[in-house]
Amino acid sequence: MGALLDIIGNEVTYSSAMRFAVLLLFAASGEWVAERAGTLNISVEGMVLAGAFGSAVGYDLTGSTVAAVFVGSVAGFLVSTIQANLSHRLPADQFVVGLTINILVLGLVGFLDNVLEPTVVRASQLTIPVLASFPVIGPALFDQPWPLFLVYPLVPAMWWLVYRTRWGLEVRASGEDPNSADVSGIHVNKRRRQTIYVAGITSGLGGAYLVLGAVGSFADSIVGGRGFIAIAAVIFGGWTLRGSVAGCLLFGAVVSFRLSLPDQGYDGINTEFLSALPYIVTIVGMALFAHRIRPPAALAKPFLRGLN
Amino acid sequence: MAISESASREPQTSQQTSQQWLENEPAVEVVGITKRYGQVAACDSVDLVLRRGQIHGVLGENGAGKSTLMKVLIGLVVPDAGQVIIDGRPSVITDPIDAAAKGIGMVHQHFSVVNALTVWENVALGDQDRLNPQAVRNEIGDLSRHYGLDIEPNAIVGTLTAGLRQRVEIIKCLRRSPRTVILDEPTSVLTPGESEALFEGLRRAVEDEGMAIALVSHKLDEILGATDLVTIMRRGQVVANLPTSQSDAPGLARAMVGRPVSLRSERMLADRPLADRPTQAERAGSKSGLPKPVQKTASLEIRSVYAQGDDGRSLLNGLSLAVNRGEIVGLAGVEGNGQRPLGDLLSSLLPVSQGEVRVDGHPIVCGKAGAMARARISVIPEDRHDSGCVLEMSVAENLFLADPTLVSRRGVVDRRKMMDRAQGLIDRFAISCEGPTAPMWSLSGGNQQRVILAREMAHAPRVLVAAQPTRGLDVGAIEYMSSQLRQAAEEGVAVLLISTELEEILDLASRLIVLSEGRIVGGMDRDQVDIEQLGLMMGGAGT
Repeated sequence: MGALLDIIGNEVTYSSAMRFAVLLLFAASGEWVAERAGTLNISVEGMVLAGAFGSAVGYDLTGSTVAAVFVGSVAGFLVSTIQANLSHRLPADQFVVGLTINILVLGLVGFLDNVLEPTVVRASQLTIPVLASFPVIGPALFDQPWPLFLVYPLVPAMWWLVYRTRWGLEVRASGEDPNSADVSGIHVNKRRRQTIYVAGITSGLGGAYLVLGAVGSFADSIVGGRGFIAIAAVIFGGWTLRGSVAGCLLFGAVVSFRLSLPDQGYDGINTEFLSALPYIVTIVGMALFAHRIRPPAALAKPFLRGLN
Repeated sequence: MAISESASREPQTSQQTSQQWLENEPAVEVVGITKRYGQVAACDSVDLVLRRGQIHGVLGENGAGKSTLMKVLIGLVVPDAGQVIIDGRPSVITDPIDAAAKGIGMVHQHFSVVNALTVWENVALGDQDRLNPQAVRNEIGDLSRHYGLDIEPNAIVGTLTAGLRQRVEIIKCLRRSPRTVILDEPTSVLTPGESEALFEGLRRAVEDEGMAIALVSHKLDEILGATDLVTIMRRGQVVANLPTSQSDAPGLARAMVGRPVSLRSERMLADRPLADRPTQAERAGSKSGLPKPVQKTASLEIRSVYAQGDDGRSLLNGLSLAVNRGEIVGLAGVEGNGQRPLGDLLSSLLPVSQGEVRVDGHPIVCGKAGAMARARISVIPEDRHDSGCVLEMSVAENLFLADPTLVSRRGVVDRRKMMDRAQGLIDRFAISCEGPTAPMWSLSGGNQQRVILAREMAHAPRVLVAAQPTRGLDVGAIEYMSSQLRQAAEEGVAVLLISTELEEILDLASRLIVLSEGRIVGGMDRDQVDIEQLGLMMGGAGT
């Protein structure tokens, strides 16, 4: 019990949790938009990896972390154009496309990494005065590498896009009832493609943050399935943005325990158990919440005009 | 260039909108519209004129061609021949958005609103300019007041009653200021009070703004109460066109249902008047020499069953019926009055809130998977593709899908046994296919239906429920299906024939019962059929 309070009271716990949660927040915020339009976009994993590698190459070429972040988001976007156009223009099965993209990106990045061998550094630390000295959680939120701060405007921007614009209304209608949306004059598949582009850009930013903010180097195993955890966070959050953010923070915290607990001297806990913990929490979380949440009614259902 | 173009267009449009509408000026004219689906003409050179300032009723049974005609008007169906003239100009309507641009709006029978969105979001959906929630909410308020269609703009549509959901759709339609509005069976989900309010609002729109309204309905009283003119359609053709003031319910019912003559009964019975035709009982008796009915205890008995859908809507509303051994009971009624829930109930798909189902006197658990089938109730489902068969699987697999234990041992399918038995059923039911391994999709609709029939009959059922068994089949297939149902009855099966086609019921059933709004509203023996009375019951006016 005392140990638990110790962990809760330690700012390292939060800094470490935040570092993992932010990658999920980047990826999940775009994924959330795509899912609201009706795509269960599993290629988010590949988008994050492409973003990570793109930013590494970008930094290697320009020596600028700003340029690197930009190149990372472009790389994520490029991957998303494949997913969007194959699954909502042709239309190929979105899961087959997503799975293929994930494998393709992994192979391509592994190959290019060997050829280019980009070298990266960590982006400079940004400290917000006053707020950063807030006890316990101050450093976690306000004393971090600068790309992390992009997530603060990004999340509300996604909320505003989906709930406050005509585009967002059409996105939600496309994800709930594409036939009614179509009758109302909405280009359902166009909206769905656009949301996947959004997911590509935010996932690319997430990858850039991972390389430049969290790790400071690149390896092709860097994402390691966390794109999928972002998808789980959206589902865990019941397809609301608030819930998705909560899911990202929870999963991020759990992922960080594997590193932060031994760091703080709690090495009595089985490390294999800590490694498995995020997935256990994901499954338990889904089991607890699955019956209460309602996905977008047309999630993962392709829309073909005139079929009904 | 762009400026001069818009400048030259502007006076024209403003002139158009400010122009006082002329009483009874045609808003939309339909000339010689024909639409065929295969051999069947859904619309056969139909003419219709919708005039401004009038509510025009379009009356007809299911499949009379009303819906197809209306779909032509909003661009969902492209006609094979004929022309649509809007405000005097021949027009081609490409899709619903185009129709809206040309001033035609439609309120659909099956709602096209998104349940997860709020009322105002649904109304705004499809707008082209910036989203302005407050302006949309204000417009909804204005329209509600003007037409007496009260609604809360911030409510989630999915939480509303069916009547209010329809109201959302009407407001969405009216907001685009259409000059012609088509309402497809608008009151099928409304309470009488709601219907009355709707018609008051429509009357106001017609009188104040010169709107032209087409009211598609099968309900006699609402056609009589709400319309100025009525067009009656039957089998794709217009059979009557008259001012509502010169018509009455019995006359309309007669014109709508028509003289029930079908190809099959014609062939068998020449052209004898209805009352002289032998009933199914007599026919069976004359053929087999057996007295009919075989036994007077009810094989299938449904006692005041109530059931609600997921959305809380009442599906079955105190339904009671009984079918005896060896008889075919025909369940007549207009589609959407509980046929599907009844079929689901007898397929163990629908739990009930009250009431019970008995087979040979034994109560059966409702809504428990397989319970009805174990009680030997066989169902030929309404939609054979949706729940009747698996198109990607073979004929043999489809034949034993419902009960693989017939051809398997300890959970392993005995392939030779399956093929042998399948071949036996293929021969017995004369299923035309390349063999037991042929994929189901390679069969014609009639033969797919034979596979389903063969599967259901292979169980030696006590009760056979046939829901729309001949829908979409050609004449030969219809005849085969009919003879099989007769034969089943002769063998002592209690047959419940659920059909929206009155002719089919009159041809097969020995007794008719009429379903309306989830309950049986009346019945009559086949040899005492009173078409007028039947039409009134189906139209909800006979009780």
